[in-house]
Amino acid sequence: MIEVKNVTKKFGRKKVLQGVSFTANKGEITCLIGVNGVGKTTILNGIVNLTPMSSGEILIDGEKLTKETYEKVAFIPDAITMLPHMRIEEAMQFMQDFYNSWNNERAEELLQFFKLKKEDRISSLSKGNVAKANLLLGLALDVDYLLMDEPFSGIDIFSREQIADVFTSHLVEDRGVIITTHEINDIEHIIDKVVLLDDGIVFKEFETEEMREVEGKSVVDVMREVYRG
Amino acid sequence: MKITFNKRDPVYVQVVQHFKEQIVSGKYELGQEIPSRRELANQLKINPNTAQRAYKEMEEAGLIFTEGNNPSRITKDEQVLRDLRTELIEGAVDRLIAAVEPVNIPIDELIGLIQEKYEEQRRGQV
Repeated sequence: MIEVKNVTKKFGRKKVLQGVSFTANKGEITCLIGVNGVGKTTILNGIVNLTPMSSGEILIDGEKLTKETYEKVAFIPDAITMLPHMRIEEAMQFMQDFYNSWNNERAEELLQFFKLKKEDRISSLSKGNVAKANLLLGLALDVDYLLMDEPFSGIDIFSREQIADVFTSHLVEDRGVIITTHEINDIEHIIDKVVLLDDGIVFKEFETEEMREVEGKSVVDVMREVYRG
Repeated sequence: MKITFNKRDPVYVQVVQHFKEQIVSGKYELGQEIPSRRELANQLKINPNTAQRAYKEMEEAGLIFTEGNNPSRITKDEQVLRDLRTELIEGAVDRLIAAVEPVNIPIDELIGLIQEKYEEQRRGQV
């Protein structure tokens, strides 16, 4: 379980996070939702300590982040971090060199799943395929937790569907996933839990099936109440 | 297998409903093997936890059974099938009645209309 406890973050005078708390379980897909600028990416950065938090605590399976944690948690940023002139296979080799948790078998499987060619250079790929290559590099790590920043933004509907399909497959099963998005439509059916953020705080945290069962509301219904109500 | 899910009913409930319809219509036969939880999640593009939940509900309701490590199967109990059929038909009739209630249509007219439309649709399917 990833526990985010009363985390705050200031950039200069600007308070981006003002006491954010939530949990994300292993084997579940947790979705951080909020309009642009509410601090979704900052939270993900905080979990892997790319951005130090001003106060509060973040625990992964009950422990604070250490160097070893990076073999347990993968962060997939919203833009690929490999050099554009690299071929996909070179990027894969690069990951293998740096991570013990790299699983080459799974990487090959993901290549097929996303219909990517490993001899292609990243600079020659379409936007959708860059997004898929980016996901591949993260998903091929044998980690317990995956953090994905906006995996659906700015790509075509079929690529989005293909990416959404990953979540229902064994490629993700049993792992804990936190994804950020502001486009919930494609993935309403596949997420377990929603954390709604606004103005640096958690507005609401709920289980999607329970919300549908008890209140008969879709995720978008709840968002409408929170953001427009 | 493809289901169009609505967004306001729990997904697992919709999956269970789908299975009930398949069983009653005979597309699933009694005792037939069904996909594993993981396969179902993959086919329907749903969360594996949801598939798990749907199977748990169906197992508790006696619609499916699992022996040891074998794949789950549709029940072999004909009584369950009969009950299920009654449940689905009554549910559909209840919804029909609720839908026509505001129009205040006489029963004879309604029955005549149902017969006409039903036959029309059946012909259309052949």
